Amino acid sequence: MAPRADLAGRSDQDIVALARAGEEAAYRELIRRYERPLFSLLYRMVRDRELAEDLAQETFVKALNAIESYRPEYKFSSWIFKIANNAAIDHLRRRELDTLSLEGSPHAETPEAVQATALQIGDRHESPLDEVEARELGGQIEQAIARLRPEYRSCILLRHVEGRAYEEIAEILNLPLGTVKTYIHRARNELRQALAHLRE
Amino acid sequence: MTGNSSPQHFGPDELDGWLAGVRTPELGRHLNECSDCLELVRTEEALIARLGALPLYAPRADFSDRVMASVYIPDPFAIRSLQAARRRLFASRKSIAIAAMLALVLLGSMTASAAWTLAHRDTLLGAGNWLASESARWAWVGLRGAALNLIEQPWFSGFRSLVDAPGRLALASAAMSLMYVSGILALRRLLAIPTQRVAHANS
Repeated sequence: MAPRADLAGRSDQDIVALARAGEEAAYRELIRRYERPLFSLLYRMVRDRELAEDLAQETFVKALNAIESYRPEYKFSSWIFKIANNAAIDHLRRRELDTLSLEGSPHAETPEAVQATALQIGDRHESPLDEVEARELGGQIEQAIARLRPEYRSCILLRHVEGRAYEEIAEILNLPLGTVKTYIHRARNELRQALAHLRE
Repeated sequence: MTGNSSPQHFGPDELDGWLAGVRTPELGRHLNECSDCLELVRTEEALIARLGALPLYAPRADFSDRVMASVYIPDPFAIRSLQAARRRLFASRKSIAIAAMLALVLLGSMTASAAWTLAHRDTLLGAGNWLASESARWAWVGLRGAALNLIEQPWFSGFRSLVDAPGRLALASAAMSLMYVSGILALRRLLAIPTQRVAHANS
């Protein structure tokens, strides 16, 4: 089994080839690379930590168990984001959620459950004051994102949080390029209006 | 439009281009003259910076282990067709139901066959005896025909005289063995990996 340090510098395609050859370390490397981006996208889409984890787990299990069917001419990231987005959209179609809680899942019934489902900000080093400010600004923008239509939300998150190209977003969401651009513009307009009160 | 002498405001494409770093002199001139577009660009830049600064959230620490517990890792030494068949078999509830039904039909037919056999032992014994005697008769006829055909061959008398003289038989065997060994050695030499470097045209 290849040591983890060796895998870190390799391309996704190389890692997938190793996974197909039965290397467990390659599977773990793919999870390590995509767990945060996928979980963050899903969390912002469904706004429930437990549910986002379940969907992220479902995404990885589905993708990794079908690794033989992955076609290397496409980007692995597009493929796995597509599976995750489909999982989120399927869920949102089944169930409508309307509020984002930075303090915990709206479905949590006990204080422990609230604590367990609260957002855990990633490991950015900030002073306590910065952290409070970031939390406040993050809270405002997170809520504005939460109020967007799911299609706009996927587009804006993939474009400006994940930094994906328009073409890749079109491939992930299975939408025409023009539609993706329109959605992103509309989403930015809505966000601008929602955050207008923060501007001096 | 406030304080704008330029005829065209920033549309979505111009805005995207500007934000992506495509800064033509015309767009720059327009921004210098149009406060509306300048405000739009600044607001968009701030929004994009804010979106880009959003933190990445992490799932719980045991997330990777939980995923791996449900992931099937292919065994490179296993027979692929068997693996694929097994995966197809357990792919869905429908395929499991079909497989179970086939297994049930197979088991049922085997049981029925065993029961019929036990109930008709005399019939089976009679049929078995007839089949055995007919097979033996046809085997004997075939063997006899083959032997007669061999004896009739023009080279048979020469072969028989060779077998009758042990000295000549030994000589012929030795010659054939020698030919066989020579053939093997020649083949090994032909198939051996070259040990010397092949000379290139320019060396």
